[in-house]
Amino acid sequence: MHATLNHYLVVSVLLFSLGLFGVLARRNLLVIYMGLELMLNAANLALVAFSRYNANLNGQVMVFFTITVAAAEVSVGLALIVALYRKRQTAHVEDLTSLKL
Amino acid sequence: MELVVTNAVASVGPAYSSRPEDIGWFILALPLFASLAIALFLHRNRTLTLFFSVGGVVAAFLLSWVLFFTFGVTGLKAVPSPFPWFHAGGLNVNLGLAVDGLSTVMLLVVTGVSALVQFYSTAYMRDDRGFARFFASLSFFTFSMLGIVLSDNLVMMFVFWELVGFSSYLLIGFWFEREAAADAAKKAFLTNRLGDFGFLLGIILVWSLTGNVQFDELAAKLKADPNALGVWSSVVGLLIFCGAMGKSAQFPLHVWLPDAMEGPTPVSALIHAATMVAAGVYLLCRAFFLFQATTAWPAALAFLGSISALDIIAVIGGGTALLAALIAIQQNDIKRILAYSTLSQLGYMVMAVGVGGPDAAMYHLTTHAGFKALLFLGAGSVIHACHHEQDIWKMGGLGRKLPVTFRTFVIGTAALAGFPLFTSGFYSKDAILVASVRHGHPILFGLGVLIASMTTFYMVRLVIVAFLGRSRSSSAEHAHESPIQMTWPLVVLAIPSIGLAWLPLGQYLTEHFFGSRVAVEEGGLFGPFNHAPLAATFGTGAIIFGAWAAIATYWNAESDPLPRSLAFWSRVLRNRFYFDEIYEALFIPIQDGLAAVCGWVDRWVMSGLLVRGVHGTTELAGRALRMVQTGNLQTYTFLFVGGVALIILIAL
Amino acid sequence: MLTTLLLLPFAGALAVLLIPANYRVILRLVALITTAVTALQAISVFSAMQPGISGFQLVEQAAWIPSAGFNYHVGVDGLNIGLTLLTSLVAFAAVCISWDIEKQTKLYYLCLLLITGGAMGAFLSLDLFFLYFFNEVALVPTFLMMGIWGRGEQKFYATYQMALYLTLGAMLALVGLAMLYSASGANTLDVVTLSAWLGQHPLSASSQRLLFPLFLFGFGTLVGLWPFHSWAAPGYAAAPPATAMLHAGVLKKVGLYALIRVALPLMPDGVRTWMPVLAVLCLGNILYCGWLALRQRDLALLLGNSSLAHMGFCFLGLASVSVTGITGVVVILVAHGLLAAANYALLGHVVRATGTSSLDKLGGLLRPMPVVGFFVVLAFMAGCGMPGFANFPGELGVLFGAWDRLPLVVIFAAWGGLLIGGVYMLRAIRSLLHGPVRAGLESASDAGSGIALYWRSLPYAVLLVPLIFFGISPDTLVRRIEPAVIPIVKSASASTPPTVDSKTPSLTSISPR
Repeated sequence: MHATLNHYLVVSVLLFSLGLFGVLARRNLLVIYMGLELMLNAANLALVAFSRYNANLNGQVMVFFTITVAAAEVSVGLALIVALYRKRQTAHVEDLTSLKL
Repeated sequence: MELVVTNAVASVGPAYSSRPEDIGWFILALPLFASLAIALFLHRNRTLTLFFSVGGVVAAFLLSWVLFFTFGVTGLKAVPSPFPWFHAGGLNVNLGLAVDGLSTVMLLVVTGVSALVQFYSTAYMRDDRGFARFFASLSFFTFSMLGIVLSDNLVMMFVFWELVGFSSYLLIGFWFEREAAADAAKKAFLTNRLGDFGFLLGIILVWSLTGNVQFDELAAKLKADPNALGVWSSVVGLLIFCGAMGKSAQFPLHVWLPDAMEGPTPVSALIHAATMVAAGVYLLCRAFFLFQATTAWPAALAFLGSISALDIIAVIGGGTALLAALIAIQQNDIKRILAYSTLSQLGYMVMAVGVGGPDAAMYHLTTHAGFKALLFLGAGSVIHACHHEQDIWKMGGLGRKLPVTFRTFVIGTAALAGFPLFTSGFYSKDAILVASVRHGHPILFGLGVLIASMTTFYMVRLVIVAFLGRSRSSSAEHAHESPIQMTWPLVVLAIPSIGLAWLPLGQYLTEHFFGSRVAVEEGGLFGPFNHAPLAATFGTGAIIFGAWAAIATYWNAESDPLPRSLAFWSRVLRNRFYFDEIYEALFIPIQDGLAAVCGWVDRWVMSGLLVRGVHGTTELAGRALRMVQTGNLQTYTFLFVGGVALIILIAL
Repeated sequence: MLTTLLLLPFAGALAVLLIPANYRVILRLVALITTAVTALQAISVFSAMQPGISGFQLVEQAAWIPSAGFNYHVGVDGLNIGLTLLTSLVAFAAVCISWDIEKQTKLYYLCLLLITGGAMGAFLSLDLFFLYFFNEVALVPTFLMMGIWGRGEQKFYATYQMALYLTLGAMLALVGLAMLYSASGANTLDVVTLSAWLGQHPLSASSQRLLFPLFLFGFGTLVGLWPFHSWAAPGYAAAPPATAMLHAGVLKKVGLYALIRVALPLMPDGVRTWMPVLAVLCLGNILYCGWLALRQRDLALLLGNSSLAHMGFCFLGLASVSVTGITGVVVILVAHGLLAAANYALLGHVVRATGTSSLDKLGGLLRPMPVVGFFVVLAFMAGCGMPGFANFPGELGVLFGAWDRLPLVVIFAAWGGLLIGGVYMLRAIRSLLHGPVRAGLESASDAGSGIALYWRSLPYAVLLVPLIFFGISPDTLVRRIEPAVIPIVKSASASTPPTVDSKTPSLTSISPR
């Protein structure tokens, strides 16, 4: 059996759904963050698969951009979470509702 | 839409050549200049205040003589160079003067009485802390009054009309700390405003019908075409008369004049005897050509038929005269008696205009200005001597203590009553009676005779009670004659009260109004008895009867016998037919009620329901939407994802 | 010349910005000198302008965004010449009466000069984009001043209410301007070009009828057109005197000025449809607000409502669409500006001297303060339409001009002006000045004595002397105004050609792109 585009896409959708579930269901900010990374990589996987399928490099170029930006984002995001934890002694989203009036 | 721009602006404007009629500008400017100089710079210096104030009006008086002999006597008319005032669209108004027979006579009256009143006030107001303010206001009043006299168009007339209202407001309310004075000033101003409302509408109507507000041009237009005002002619007449009704205190706007006696007595003499109240009569004479237009009513008023505006004016004038004479009989305040007598005489003049005798009205206006100013200044002298006692029943026996005042007062009384042959009042009153007979108003003639008799009655009552008999209070006991500055104006005013009768003033005025009629009239001392024996005889009879009745009732009376014998009527008269009470109950609640309704609407509907309503709903909506903001990150994410899914679903 | 006049207040504002905040005296002097020089410049502009000529004079132009058709274009004609003079005089008087401000002096004078510059710019600009822009430049500091230096418990509510009303009005007008810009197809908001263009390619009647109310109610709200008047009286009562002077006296006039400048000449069909409505609404101002004034026991609210009643005469003049009437309106704009400023300046003095503006707590003030009392009597008399003050010829022109079209309205308006106006003004004088002195007010401070007297009287004199001058000689204004009004009335009463050109852009062609 040869792996077709559809197989890659199914895996990508599964990964994305797992990530989304993590973002929605988990309460710890770090875990939510991991969920986000999963969703990002699901998108990357789909992009690479499309690139291959269309036989050009556009998708792969996009993935490199995504990875670079994601790296920067992760570092900023983790720094924020650490700072928040230091300030509030918690990383649970139920405790961080001060945006509400 | 009229877009034609007249080039009137270019053609007017002062030409810098000296012409005798331009003196008119100086006459007008002198009192204004005096008033401004006092108000702005001189109010600390009494001597300079007096110098400017009295000097200004005396100079104006002398210049008025020049104008009178140059233009009045010769019958010439002149228009001093006008200044452009408001030229836009179809409205062309100049600041212009009219110098002719009518205005020059009136100029002499106004400046003459003003000058004497100012002299008199130098003593009367000596100790008042508002000395400078008084003279500034007095000069300003003279200026506005001269403006009315000299105006050559309706709009300017209205301008000075209002200014006279303002300056009389200042003078009546001169002692502003007294509640009564402040209220009287307000009342006078507002009652006058009510008349001015009609006057203004009349001016606008005249302008819209003829496109003109100049007296001479309007007169020429109406002469050429008596139907120029169309169906509105009588309405125009009545609206213009509204103005006169306010200033000359005709029924039903007469209520302010008696209250205006709260002002200082010289003010009463100047404003409420000689000048301001005469302005209404002067207006009627000045605009008499408007009333000569064909009588016509718009459809809604067609039931009035052939009754002309003049007829209505005559009835109102006669009614006011009767009403005021009745009230005067039962007043006890010396100034109020004179005030009601003024009202009554003004009604007489208005009646004269109404029966078609503006010359007789102007004649009586001129003589009345002299002897009524004399009477008021005499009353002022009495009040001054009795330490501000104004009740005649607390005087008595003043004749011996104030000889000059007494003698001049008697001369004034005789003139007001119309004592035959020797007083100016006799001739001018006779002219009015003659006019009413000649123009076919027998009822008004009878009314005139009746009022003449009542006038004599209340004036003789005043003289007997205040000056004869014995003193009834300590202040009357210790009265002594006023200083010379106050007595000599009385003497000066007594001269025209007698002497005016011997000048051909009546003929002069008749000539001004009706051209050549003068030839028919026969002047001279016994003239009235020769050319109109009926009027003169009835008039004389009325005086004799009135005087006899008063002497019979009041000689040696200690108190007024009438309240006992005529209880009900006396009470009604004392309370001035309850006009003030009726107005207070009727008109003020309406205006205040409307104001209350608007206040309620604004508070509860405008700012309550609407503004607060919009404010409230916006805030409620905000509160509702705030519920959605849980602050929970995952709720937001869930909604976000749901939204994305929804959009994708729709897009697919 | 006009650019100098426009830039002077802004230059002053810049100077104030650069001076350290604790140099109070220097700040005050800079503001005083700036406004004094502005006033002198405005007077020289006034005398440099030739009367009797129609069209703009002393025009100065510069390209700004030529592609969008927005250009710097200033000039004067009869409509705005008096208003520029008014602006500079009121600004000078406002600085004079603000001498005692201790709180945040620097910001205060900065705001004051910005309002002055904004108002000046709004009147001078012939490009409607700049007119709108400068109006907003002036409005923002107005609200700031109300919030910071205002008085009374209701201060913030009044400020919010005023800000919201005025912003909403301005938004409506902005929408109107934007639609006019795109519907005309002239690619410009320059008054001169636009009116020439619309003279050739008039807007369709239907789009005029839609556009006109946007201007009428948008700019009308800025002036306090009934029933959008609720902001005015409480707003001015809460504002500090200088702000009330500048807004009621000057800034408010931008709305009416823009109506005469834009709405009347460019949309004759809109005029025909909407002027009867305006004729009714103006009675709302004259009678309703007059009665409201009658009702007030607070001098500040009384003056606010009386000012609204005066605006009613302006609307009546607009509704008359006659040369006499609109000339009268422009005279009233100047006269009422001076008067309103004088009123609020005097009110400011009374409040400072006695601590209250409630008529129930005041009385007999003519004795302790004769000089201020004298000015109050003058100002209140001007307020009830006394001849000798410039309000009178203006109102007279309006009444005469409106008679032919709206006789019934004129009757009611004359009643409102002569009677209702007389009653509330005289009641105010009666309660404030006449009668015995209230206990505790025997030594209420007057304008001062000696040299201070002249200095303290200066602001009132600066406002009332021109008011009386223009009252005695309204011709000085009228012969400048009339030539500017004639073409406006001509195009306002022009009828649209019956065959509507199919290429004429109509409102339906307006789309987001």
